[in-house]
Amino acid sequence: MSEREKLLKKLSGAQFAALEMQLYLDTHKNDATAFKSMKEYLLKAAEYKKEYEARFGPLLAKDLYGDTDFAWLNAPWPWENESEAKK
Amino acid sequence: MWQYEKKLQYPVKIKNCNAKLAQVIASQYGGPDGELGASLRYLSQRFAMPYPELKGLLTDIGTEELAHLEMVGAIIYQLTRDLSIDEIKKSGFDTYFVDHTTGVYPSSAAGVPFTAAYIQSKGDVITDLHEDLAAEQKARTTYDNILRLCDDPDVRDAIKFLRQREVVHYQRFGEGLRLAQDRLNEKNFYAFNPSFDK
Repeated sequence: MSEREKLLKKLSGAQFAALEMQLYLDTHKNDATAFKSMKEYLLKAAEYKKEYEARFGPLLAKDLYGDTDFAWLNAPWPWENESEAKK
Repeated sequence: MWQYEKKLQYPVKIKNCNAKLAQVIASQYGGPDGELGASLRYLSQRFAMPYPELKGLLTDIGTEELAHLEMVGAIIYQLTRDLSIDEIKKSGFDTYFVDHTTGVYPSSAAGVPFTAAYIQSKGDVITDLHEDLAAEQKARTTYDNILRLCDDPDVRDAIKFLRQREVVHYQRFGEGLRLAQDRLNEKNFYAFNPSFDK
């Protein structure tokens, strides 16, 4: 697994845990423990996302505001693997 | 509105191509119980949902289904990207190939194009939530069938993730149905109660 994939895995893990809490809270909106947990995962996800975007480029086009080039088009796209990206 | 995040919800990393398997898994892209139908169903039904919990639930699950659609598309893409013409002929993928080459197209495994007739949006909270519960189980069964047909560990890993999501969504829709029924008129035990009949 490349450095990029490792960091992406950490980010996806935190995002997934936050989403799981979000769906749970949709039907248990007064569960304070679940909401606290959701917020912790969101914070972790925000940190990983910041690190990922600094090293490997934007995940959302709206995050391009500080960039010097239009890195949105940089490979790989999510359905591609890294060897394809070098072609 | 929606914004695109340039990543998959869960990684899809398939080493070996397999045309036959791609054709079978395509059913979860645009087949009767696939992810395209799931996202359209929930994102359409949510407009008629009367309670904030259900507006939230259908929005959030409908959005997650779009991420699953992308994962299934990635699986099909990776299973077909290095195919030779010989493999296409031998695997039976030729009937798909003639119309779509290796493009990802929403249809069932048997080649029936996606149709909105696969879904319903009835404007009745009880009716729609029952459809959603059934839809999650139908999708879960389809993923179980795919697992019965598939021995590639790379593919199974992603399919198992998608299967588990159906189980979680079923649980959440069940809770949503309970919340809705708790708020209906208690004399109305048949649970008919659209807002028209106040």
